[in-house]
Formats: sequence, structure tokens, C-alpha cells
Amino acid sequence: MAVSSVSRAKRKVNWLPWLLLLGIAVIIIGRIIYLYSLDPRFNTAFFLRAFIESVKLGSLYALIALGYTMVYGIIRLINFAHGEVFMVGAFMTYFFFTFTPYPWFISAIYAAIIAYGSMRVLEFFRGSMRDPLVLAAGGVIFIGLTVLVSSITFPFWLALICSMIFTGVLGIVIDRVAYFPLRTAPRNSLLITAIAVSFLLQNLGLLVFTNRQTPFRPDTPLIQPLQLTVGNGQVFSNWLLLAIPLITAILVVVLTLFVNRTRLGKAMRASAQDAETAQMMGVSVNKVIATTFLLGSMLAAAGGAMWGLNFGSLNQPAILGILPGIKAFSAAVIGGIGSLPGAVIGAIIIGFLENFTTAIFPKTATFQGVTEFKDTFAFILLIIVLLVRPSGIVGEDLSEKV
Amino acid sequence: MGERSNVAEREKLLELKKVTTHYGPIRVLTDVDMVIYPGEMVCLLGGNASGKSTTLKTILGIVKVSEGEMYFRGERADQLSTAERIERGMAVVPENRRIFSKMTVLENLEMGAYLRDDKKGIKEDMDYVFELFPRVKERLHQKGGTMSGGEQQMLAMGRALMSRPKLILMDEPSMGLAPLFVERIFEIIKQVNERGISVFVVEQNANVALSIADRGYVLQTGEVVLSGPAKELLNNEAMKKAYLGEV
Ligand SMILES: Nc1ncnc2c1ncn2[C@@H]1O[C@H](COP(=O)(O)OP(=O)(O)OP(=O)(O)O)[C@@H](O)[C@H]1O
Ligand SMILES: [Mg+2]
Repeated sequence: MAVSSVSRAKRKVNWLPWLLLLGIAVIIIGRIIYLYSLDPRFNTAFFLRAFIESVKLGSLYALIALGYTMVYGIIRLINFAHGEVFMVGAFMTYFFFTFTPYPWFISAIYAAIIAYGSMRVLEFFRGSMRDPLVLAAGGVIFIGLTVLVSSITFPFWLALICSMIFTGVLGIVIDRVAYFPLRTAPRNSLLITAIAVSFLLQNLGLLVFTNRQTPFRPDTPLIQPLQLTVGNGQVFSNWLLLAIPLITAILVVVLTLFVNRTRLGKAMRASAQDAETAQMMGVSVNKVIATTFLLGSMLAAAGGAMWGLNFGSLNQPAILGILPGIKAFSAAVIGGIGSLPGAVIGAIIIGFLENFTTAIFPKTATFQGVTEFKDTFAFILLIIVLLVRPSGIVGEDLSEKV
Repeated sequence: MGERSNVAEREKLLELKKVTTHYGPIRVLTDVDMVIYPGEMVCLLGGNASGKSTTLKTILGIVKVSEGEMYFRGERADQLSTAERIERGMAVVPENRRIFSKMTVLENLEMGAYLRDDKKGIKEDMDYVFELFPRVKERLHQKGGTMSGGEQQMLAMGRALMSRPKLILMDEPSMGLAPLFVERIFEIIKQVNERGISVFVVEQNANVALSIADRGYVLQTGEVVLSGPAKELLNNEAMKKAYLGEV
């Protein structure tokens, strides 16, 4: 046979979005050079700080974006409730470090939920909830936590861990109650259900957490001031500046190792590619989906807790999750939805865009004192990326053969 | 049906009794009766859309039995989950191979052993797979999707063997392969079968399949219309007309 020539269908290149991207890059870089060389306030220290702040903000978005991308990867659902899961994670952390010690019966309820969640997690490794080891672990966790929650005030890190587990279980419950019955239903039904779950959680949040401003000031060394001298300038901030990117990096590394090295992680990747074949290998796909919700929600909770630390307060539970949620979703799409590194890259890019632009164009921080103008940057970028590369930065070309 | 009486006494590995399955409201299989004995190689023939793949999916539990019963190794199996059936000794080489294209060849093989914990046994089986398919060993760290069609077929068979199955279900292993390669694949299927692993193979390539199989079934619009020893099917007039191509 003749060698078949690889001919690609000619695609019309649309130059406009590329020009827009180029224009934005030129404006930002030009402005940085201009400020750096002319204005003494914008010295190396200023830009260093802006740089790390951007990474920090990006890290927070990344923790949320990972949940969107993981769930999408496995059940092709844009989980609109994910922003609210993030909100619950933030508030639960607050509840754990503020109101502990609880009365014993409330402690028992919390402990039961968390013990159940831990058993659910162990179930994946031991095969059954009735496995003696799983039961024993559940019992120990239940009793230990009841005693703990009813006797000591939680330090921040413990509150964070408990909130992550609590929120992770919430993720599993959402999947089980709202999405599981619709596994074979049309995609749109699932999407509308997700929106409904989102509204439900917003209003439950309002009911439980109330609409007052909630100061988020745990007793943790992370919010101690931090002072760095760089060249002839200084950076004044707190330890969060370094801690948030670091904690995020650790979580991302753990997640990556989990997905690439463990059996369940491999089952997750296999199911994302081809759920039916994964099932034919003996993978229980519903278990894998539950794990995905668990991990995504835990990461969102970590993001929420650090979000609270970073901004010092949480307010309006009904809307707290919305903006970070859709920005993180944009990040996931920009990076290439379904891809873990893509979500992180997209989130960091949005962090930079938002933070750097407000740093070098201070007037964009607020617009006519009403709107946060910077909030639009993520969406402008989203639109441009969708025009240029609909599959995202690291997403594979959609035209690629399977 | 026409089973010889001496084999009727043998323990059956797999048995379908009047199995009917549906996709939604559409009935795809009607009252299918099938038996596979330990160590046997049975082939399933039939035209396009006759329900061959659906039969395999029903045996595996991907598609649910709506009427009838299924037994695997003496145990009622039609209510078991797919994972439970695989644990009990089924494995599949799916239609179109269905390699995990973004995972490496090694990871694909590991997915085959997903439900196993015995490291030593897994290692042994992996060595056996390498012995059968040296080509797979050479490509261990390549992404599955970058393998050629033939290599993917070998990988899919290796993946199925990794679960140390009692029964391998194969859906058109020769699809899209050059004639010489088809012969090789069937050579290997025969080797695998000679190890005592039962093989249930769906084939369009009726001549090749019947020449090495012990028995065969013929499906037509979801019903078994013909069954019997492979030699009889090869000489059957109706078969010759419909599938073997009258010379
Ligand atoms: N998931 C599904 N949903 C609805 N109908 C299906 C589904 N899968 C198969 N069918 C239908 O069931 C019938 C039998 O399909 P099946 O795949 O079993 O045929 P086959 O014998 O394997 O054919 P081929 O030789 O072409 O692979 C076909 O009419 C097909 O359209
Ligand atoms: Mg088929």
C-alpha cells in the first residue's frame, strides 16, 4: 500500500484572540518595566511580594479547581455545588477551632460523622465496611474524637484536618444523594441537579452559619507577621504568604502521588479514560467516583480554611463560595478540564492575572468604588482561551483520535 | 441441546439458562442457552448486531440479565457485580481492545491484576505474559495509545491474563489485523487454552475460529440458531452458506 500522507484539515486561524493575549502581555510587562524604572515605590521588594501573593492566591484557586477537574474527568459533570463545598469547608474549620470544646452530645455527632467518613475511606483499601480493621478504626476514631472534641480547644491544624474529613464526607453524600441516581440520565439533568444542590447548600449555609461577619482568627503561628528585607526594600506580610503555597504544594504532591502510584489512583485514571473497560477489569466505578468526590471536597475544605485565614473573616455563606468557585472553574477550563496539572497551572495564571494587575494598576482594584473590577480578569482570560484553545492549555486536542 | 451424555456429567464452568437481556425497552438476547466446560474453547459466531458483544457483556455483568439464570463455577452469578465475577475467575479482551491509551503498557497490565493482592503470583503471570508477547515487554513504559493495533491486541490479551482467569472472554480478537497476524493471535489463544484456561471467543472469522475451537454457537438476532462441535459446524450446510463462504 502507498504510504498514506498525513494531511491535516486546514483550520482557519483566528488571529484576534492571539492579538488580545499578546496585547495584554505587552501592557502588563510594559507597565512593570515602566513602574520599576521610574517609580521608587515599585522596587524589587514590591514585585517580589506581588509575585508571591499571586502564587498564594493562585494556590487557593488551585485547591478548588482540582475538585472541579477531578469530578469532570470522571463523570463529565461540572459540579456547580463545588464552590459551596468550599464554603462549608471554610465554616467547618471555623466551627472546630472556635467552639470546641463542645457539649459531649454534639461532639458525639461530629465524631460519628468523621468516624463514618474515615471508615468509608478505609473501606476502599480493605474492601468492606464490616472488615474488623475498619470497624476497629471507626470505633477508635469515634471514641477518641468524642473525648477530644468535648474536652479541648482545637488548634488550627486539627480543625483543618477535621473539617477536611467532614467536608470530604459531605462530598460523598452529595454524590450519593444527588448524582448517583442520575448516572445514566442525560447530562443536562445532572447539570441542573448540580445547580439545585448548589442553591440548597447556599441556603443551608445561610441557615446554619447565619449572615453575620465571622472573624476567622485561629490561634496559629501562621498569621504572625513576617518581614523580609530584599535589596533596599522590605516585604511586610505574615507567614501565610509562604505557608499557603507550601501547604498547597504538599497537598498537590500527595494527590499526584496518589493518582499515579496507588492502585485506587490508577483505577481513577483508568475510569476517567474509559469507565466501562475499567469496570471490566474489576474496578467498582461508583467507589472510584466516591473517592473523587471525597478528595476534591477535602482539597476544597483546605482551600476554604486557608481562604478564611488569608482574609481574616468569612461572611455571607450564601455567596462566599460563588466567586471563588467560578474563578476556580475558569481556572480548570483554562488549564484544560480533566487534567490535574492543568487545573493548577490555570489557577496560578488567574492568581497572577488578578493580583499582578491590581498591584500595577491600583485603580483596577475597585471600579467606581462599587465593583471589584479585578474579578473580571479571570473571565476575560477564560473567554480568550476558549477562543484560542477550547481544550485548555494542557488539555489534549479534542480532534485527536481516541 | 445436543450435548454428549458423558460431558453432561462434567462440572460446568459457565452456564446460561434462557437468558434474556434488554437495552432499555429493546430486547437484544432472547432465551439464550449456553454452556462452557472447564478447559474448553468455544466460539460464538453471528452476523453484525446479532448480539455477540451483548452476550459477553451479559456474562460479565456489564449488562444485566432481565430473565433467566446464569451460573459460574457452580454458583448463581447473574446477581453478582462485575468485580465479583472477575474475582471468581472471568477476564475479558474487549471489542476494539480498549487499551487505556493514556496509561503506560505496564500500568495497563497492572489494571488487569486490579483485584489481586499476591505480589508473587502477579509477577509470575507478568513473566508469562512477557513470554507470550516479548513485544509487550519491550514497550513497557510506552503509553498504551502509541502502540500499533496488533501490539494493542497483544496488550489487551496480556491484560486479561494478568487476573489469572479461569475463563477468558474475547470479543473479535482478529478485528483489523493482517491475515498472518490473525494466525499468530489464534496460535497464542490456543496456547493459552492448552494451559487449561477456558476461552469463549466471539469471531467474524468463522473458518479460523472453528478450526481451533471445540464447539461453537451461532447467534441470529439475539437467538441461538445453531450449536454443536466445531467440526460439525464447519460442515453444516446452512453455516457454509451464511458464514463460511461457499467455494
Ligand atoms: N449500549 C447499547 N444501548 C442500546 N442498544 C445497544 C447497546 N449496545 C448494543 N446495542 C444494540 O444491541 C444489538 C446487538 O449489539 P451487539 O454489540 O451485541 O452486536 P454484535 O453481535 O457484537 O455486532 P458486531 O459484530 O457488529 O460487533 C445491536 O442492535 C445494537 O444496536
Ligand atoms: Mg460486537
